[in-house]
Amino acid sequence: MTALPAVTEGEELPALELTPDLGQVIRFCGLTWVFPAFFYDVEAARAQGMPGTLLPGPLKLGLIYRAIDDWLGDRGFIRHVRAAHRRPDITGRPITVAGRVARVYEEDGAQRADLELAVLNERGEPSVRGFAVVQFHP
Amino acid sequence: MIDQTLLTDEVRALVGRAGEPAPVRVTRRAAERAMDVYYGHHNGAVATDGTVKGVVLAALENESESIRYPDLLPDGLLISNEWEFSRPLRLDEELIVQSRLVDINERFGGRFGYSLYFRSDAEFRDSTGEIVARSVRTMMQYDAASARDGAEE
Repeated sequence: MTALPAVTEGEELPALELTPDLGQVIRFCGLTWVFPAFFYDVEAARAQGMPGTLLPGPLKLGLIYRAIDDWLGDRGFIRHVRAAHRRPDITGRPITVAGRVARVYEEDGAQRADLELAVLNERGEPSVRGFAVVQFHP
Repeated sequence: MIDQTLLTDEVRALVGRAGEPAPVRVTRRAAERAMDVYYGHHNGAVATDGTVKGVVLAALENESESIRYPDLLPDGLLISNEWEFSRPLRLDEELIVQSRLVDINERFGGRFGYSLYFRSDAEFRDSTGEIVARSVRTMMQYDAASARDGAEE
């Protein structure tokens, strides 16, 4: 049996504080070739009852990935990351990606950890509940 | 308010429908553009061992033929999405991507009233046929006129 990685259950990931702007959203739309008007046109967003353009859900998944990657570094790789979208986030408003190590374990001969994550809006409310599995290099 | 299922046999028969497999290459450009979007820079887009960040999946999955499903209700929301990797992706490897409609469910009541859930995925296989990555999303269809105000569901 190999040694468990130097992470402990309950360890918190460094908070990733961001204010995604319209330029980042437009680059995301170009990358994924997805262009719903409420991502970049404030009038289209208001017609949906939103106070401003919406931050795309798949963009938030990638920001959760980044927060994990910033913490994990070259110690391993991200096997799974999931985002359950609960509330819309408005482009140009601050968000924070927060997380903690929920479980450290061995599986299929590899050292792994489950992470619980969230995207918090400026009021501290979770707009996304996240979950991830990382695998540590031997 | 809808109180009868819209999941007819015809709709249920859509489960399992798959698009045509399509080849896709993990290019440096895709890796750098994905990093630019999510990290604000592309330093380290390709590691010294030739692996790339998993966010590259966002640039690759639109190469697959997306699965169309019927608009049974007027409004739509992304409920969840996820990425899975059996190993890090490598620069210049060629993968085959294929999309599928995995499941359709329904829910009566709740914040959104009657709603339908369409779960689809895109599988990425390497040259040996092994699944190396998978992107999954669940879209909800609902009728905003039947939804009630509220915060977290």
